Amino acid sequence: MAEKKIYSKLGEMISKGEFVLTGELEPEKTCDLSHTIQEAKEMAPYVVAANVTDSPLAIVTINSMAASHIIQRETGLECVWQLTVRDCNKIGLAGQIMGAQALGLRNVLSLTGDHTNLGDVPEAKPVFDLDSATLVKLVREMVDTGKINDNEIEHPPTMHVGAAANPNADPMEAEILKIGRKAEAGAEFIQTQVVYDLDMTIEFLRAIQKYKVPVFLGIFPMKSYGIAKGFDMFVPGVDVPKDILAKWKSVKTNVSDKKEQKDTYDQLNYEFFKPFISELKSKNLLNGVHCMAVHYTRIFPKLNKVIKG
Amino acid sequence: MVVITTKKPVDEVLKVLKENDVRSLVVVSCGVCAALCQTGGTEGLKKWTEILEKEGFDILVGIVSEDVCDNRVMMKDLRKIDDSVKDADAILTLSCGLGVQSIVQVLSKKHPNKKVFVTNNTEFMGMTERIGRFRMRCLGCGDCLLNETGGICPVTTCAKALMNGPCGGMVDGKCEVGNYERDCGWVLIYNRLKAIGRLDLFSKLREPRDWSDSGHQREVIFR
Ligand code: SF4
Ligand code: SF4
Repeated sequence: MAEKKIYSKLGEMISKGEFVLTGELEPEKTCDLSHTIQEAKEMAPYVVAANVTDSPLAIVTINSMAASHIIQRETGLECVWQLTVRDCNKIGLAGQIMGAQALGLRNVLSLTGDHTNLGDVPEAKPVFDLDSATLVKLVREMVDTGKINDNEIEHPPTMHVGAAANPNADPMEAEILKIGRKAEAGAEFIQTQVVYDLDMTIEFLRAIQKYKVPVFLGIFPMKSYGIAKGFDMFVPGVDVPKDILAKWKSVKTNVSDKKEQKDTYDQLNYEFFKPFISELKSKNLLNGVHCMAVHYTRIFPKLNKVIKG
Repeated sequence: MVVITTKKPVDEVLKVLKENDVRSLVVVSCGVCAALCQTGGTEGLKKWTEILEKEGFDILVGIVSEDVCDNRVMMKDLRKIDDSVKDADAILTLSCGLGVQSIVQVLSKKHPNKKVFVTNNTEFMGMTERIGRFRMRCLGCGDCLLNETGGICPVTTCAKALMNGPCGGMVDGKCEVGNYERDCGWVLIYNRLKAIGRLDLFSKLREPRDWSDSGHQREVIFR
């Protein structure tokens, strides 16, 4: 097998086997990215890269390729450009991959994307010409062979492609076999959906170890009780454990000083995630952590401590 | 197999007739699929006759035809009422989209200016579960995958028609589209392949669908 090429900082960390921390940025329905850029700057010292979302929940936002490029240009923070198969056919996707390359993007995360039906333009045509596995395959074909459908690309893209996984999925075996297909397609890393259940996570990570794809575990530190409750209620398929909700609630009720409240939430997150991640690390099940808590950049110094040691 | 139809709102149909200056009509009702869906047949013909007469339309003749979508049958049936067809401003069809187009095609030589309208929306090719309950289970994609998916169609049971499901929108076996009330097609496929001992098929990375033959006026000729 030819030696694995490295195209990005993230790719380099992965190939060196270093434990990585990645963040998430969620550009909104705006043509001005100053808020996102600000958040990118705040997390930049702590993360190797940040994901940039592609109209999550099918709610229209600024294009993720453009946003990724501007964030990289303005902050120097490397992006993991999220690309869904919802809005473009294979021609559009391939064109975007080349465009992203020209704009300096070197990591792409292949996603199915939430159905158009869920978003704010439900009348739009859902495309889904490819799926999350065959998009991985397309990227790898373009990068590794320099071709698309056997036609030469003059200057082919050079980027890493990752895929998503959901440890909460039930039936779990269906999800595991699907990850097998993504691995076969050539996924170079996996970022998971948010988890809170340690035993289930261990079972899941053990089951996918055979595919030998580095895994970054999705976590969602909760900035406040309101956010924790909202996450529990509105993110389908992920439950925030009752005892956590109770702890967060007691901070809201018992700590009146705003500054102290913030510090307490931060500390509670640290106390929850530290042993959680340490356990998985000690079992050699993880290659990194992907923090999906947007608008909560002040937690990164603490998260940095979570992943160290 | 039944081509499933539902009724267009009466007002929508009346508006179209009025916009087209239609006063006199021949009504052709489908006696097969539309009859089963209660959007055609003898009952449908009776109902539409009442509605149209109340609105002041002149119904020259109304027939129930056994195969509106079969050009040959339609040719024969329309020939029998040719005088009325000639005199009528338009033909109103209580059938699926195939029926309407069959009539347009059949009349294209002899009555090329005859207007033809439809009272129904055509939904899908339906599998009948019981009287009055039909499910979309095939879109006629032209490259059937059922031998590989345990006899369950991903094109119609997966809301995204994915070739490599389930997607991240699946929760406890249900689909994100429709408020997690409908089964995820890919979980149905998984369960089925597991039951018949063919999870190897589920593990297979599937290529995207080949659309190169789509977008044409597809036809099948076997003689
Ligand atoms: S795969 Fe589905 S849509 Fe295609 S022919 Fe078979 S049943 Fe019909
Ligand atoms: S949840 Fe299942 S049925 Fe719904 S879109 Fe995803 S794979 Fe298809």
